[in-house]
Amino acid sequence: MESRILQLISALRASGVRVSLAESAEAFSAVDLMGIQDREQFRLSLRATLIKDVKDIPTFEKLFPLFFGSGQPPMMGGNPMDDMTPEEAQMLAEALRQLAENLRQRMERLMNGEPLTKSELEALGKLVGLNQADNLNYQNWMAQRMIRALAFPEVREALKELMEQLAQMGMSRGRIEQIRDMIQQNMRGMQEQINQFAGERIAENLSERPRSDNVDSLTNRPFHALSDADKKLLQREVKRLAAALRTRIALRQKHAKSGQLDPKATIRANLKYHGVPMEIRHKDRVRKPKIVVICDISTSMRFCSELMLSFLFALQGQVRKTHAFAFINHLEYISEDFNGSNADEAIASVLWRMPSGHYNTDLGWSLNDFNSEYMDTLNGQTTLIIVGDGRNNYNDPRLDIFSLMSRRAVRTIWLNPEPPALWHGDSDMPRYAPLCNNVLKVSNLRELAEAVDTLLAA
Amino acid sequence: MTTLFDSTKTVKAELSKQRYIASDEISTIVYLAYKLGKPLLAEGPAGVGKTELAKAIACATDRELIRLQCYEGLDESKALYEWEYSKQLLYTQLLRDKLNDTLGKAESLAEAADKLAGEEDVFFSNRFLLQRPLLKAILSERPTVLLIDEIDRADAEFEAFLLEVLSDFQVSVPELGTLIAKHRPLVILTSNNTRELSEALKRRCLYLFIDYPTLQEELAVVRLKVPDLNPKLAQQAVEFVQKLRKADMRKSPSISETLDWANALVALNASHLDKEVLEDTLSVLLKHEADLQKAKRQLMAPPPSPRPKPDEFGRFSGN
Repeated sequence: MESRILQLISALRASGVRVSLAESAEAFSAVDLMGIQDREQFRLSLRATLIKDVKDIPTFEKLFPLFFGSGQPPMMGGNPMDDMTPEEAQMLAEALRQLAENLRQRMERLMNGEPLTKSELEALGKLVGLNQADNLNYQNWMAQRMIRALAFPEVREALKELMEQLAQMGMSRGRIEQIRDMIQQNMRGMQEQINQFAGERIAENLSERPRSDNVDSLTNRPFHALSDADKKLLQREVKRLAAALRTRIALRQKHAKSGQLDPKATIRANLKYHGVPMEIRHKDRVRKPKIVVICDISTSMRFCSELMLSFLFALQGQVRKTHAFAFINHLEYISEDFNGSNADEAIASVLWRMPSGHYNTDLGWSLNDFNSEYMDTLNGQTTLIIVGDGRNNYNDPRLDIFSLMSRRAVRTIWLNPEPPALWHGDSDMPRYAPLCNNVLKVSNLRELAEAVDTLLAA
Repeated sequence: MTTLFDSTKTVKAELSKQRYIASDEISTIVYLAYKLGKPLLAEGPAGVGKTELAKAIACATDRELIRLQCYEGLDESKALYEWEYSKQLLYTQLLRDKLNDTLGKAESLAEAADKLAGEEDVFFSNRFLLQRPLLKAILSERPTVLLIDEIDRADAEFEAFLLEVLSDFQVSVPELGTLIAKHRPLVILTSNNTRELSEALKRRCLYLFIDYPTLQEELAVVRLKVPDLNPKLAQQAVEFVQKLRKADMRKSPSISETLDWANALVALNASHLDKEVLEDTLSVLLKHEADLQKAKRQLMAPPPSPRPKPDEFGRFSGN
């Protein structure tokens, strides 16, 4: 049982669920307490201790039955020959004899209603390459292949023939249907058994797969080539970066003290001087960082917009006062989309709402939108982050608005996926760049990490 | 403590005595948290009874419920303790004579200083410590239930600060030393999932996700809490709410809103759900104008026949 639980835990980890050592220890003490007699309580005690996120519950519910199957033998219909009259049995044997040899064996097998043995399942699995599969999405496909290997389609055809044969021989209609139902039920039982076996085996393979918690392998890969588990890893990394950035911004602003007297602190500090105010305390206002992010999600940026949006999402999770905007040819406020806790959904909803067209990027116009509606979000506490390639399709770059924005903000940071060498053509980057405090090249996770590190060092 | 949770069944039974209908899932996980002495993190949409669960547990175990409502900017001095310096000042003033007495007898300066140092503890004692919820839960003479409500509203810094309290149930006050809980409080954290909590916090908790209830569960709750509503109408109302939740609303109605609505129906003396009643009371369920319009369009769209027969109202109640 213990090794089974450990296998479940490694399969969970392989599927991208983060399970710490403390949590797996916790799972064991919970199981000790609740016992394993009641399967439902057993499941709940594992779930409550191992899974700490709604998003991971479906993964758990999928894996759990694969490791702790219901333990019941597959539903088999029983043997139709048990209550047959000798004549009927005779007829059945006669009809069976008409079938080809291999089909007849299978048919008899189905009629006896005995499930597949372990070694038969193993052999079948080997035949279809089940041992190499370590993705649960392949469970159905693998099961289908095993069923085909068992020649089920042919058996179905043969079953029809058999029924016709029996009808010709004059067996009663009711009896024929009874035989058919039983055989079909047995087939379903076997299918279920195979499906369960395929799932179990894949889950086991999954749990044996070496852990690939290696962020490095992700950093240079294009975003669309990432699997779901990789994406989770990436989001975690991005979240870490956002947290680091937040701390940095907060630290930079913490030092700023206002001149206001703090009576409480002053009295307390001067108790030691018998109430004579010798030390004046000021209100040490911990200023909360504020961030305004404007993100380009036009066609030229699509390859990295998912990465950038997940960075924005993480940033908003870290810094409450984040105002996120996205633009193609006009500006939209997207912070509301980010209010849930599911990054994928939030990003999908933004990208769905703002589909990209061709050659319609207009940063100038978007800045104009910003100027007329959202300028008040920028003040002496705000860090302005622009994400985009600065390619403006020869539209007016509105440098006047941009310089106003950068003057209003404490700091202006531009994250650009293009290196300075490519800033020509319709790129207005050379003109925007002097107005920013930092311009950094970011097109994948590694560069994002470097950019955050640079900002931290600054 | 009058009640001991000694199996999931007793948990369920005791909670239902407190008029809280717990599913098997809830009662199992509550039992686990109780037995393992672990904080319980309850997550789920707003208004599904997370806070209510904590209250019910407190009543069922006959413990005091100490509640800490989180908000942005909540800090240690609001959550843990604060020195009541004005009281300290007042005492110093009032006790001046007494101090003179004590110190006057001293023969040398050094002796007076020693004596004063001996009395120092008086001014930094529990007497002048203003207990905030966390400290109160730790110092309580009797076991308590500590409810940390809507933890997702607090800042990440506060979350980090909670870690010490939640894992060891102790806090350090520099002047007093480390205070260790006499009884481990049963801690329940709730979150509406508006932001992701830190891994470290989650790791220390057992996790319970409470979703919107099924039709039967919700009906049971409505029957229990609003017994005056006639059963047929209750059924219709709950079916209607369940249907609203399936529609894509900005804010789906929660159980508490269903109960408000049920109470409204009782107050209006409604005998069945017809268009008029719905239009009058729908704003109890849906709090966004856009949702209201949408519900009116979608759910009441089929124009009622000139003389609606009673059995046609099923159309509005969802099926």
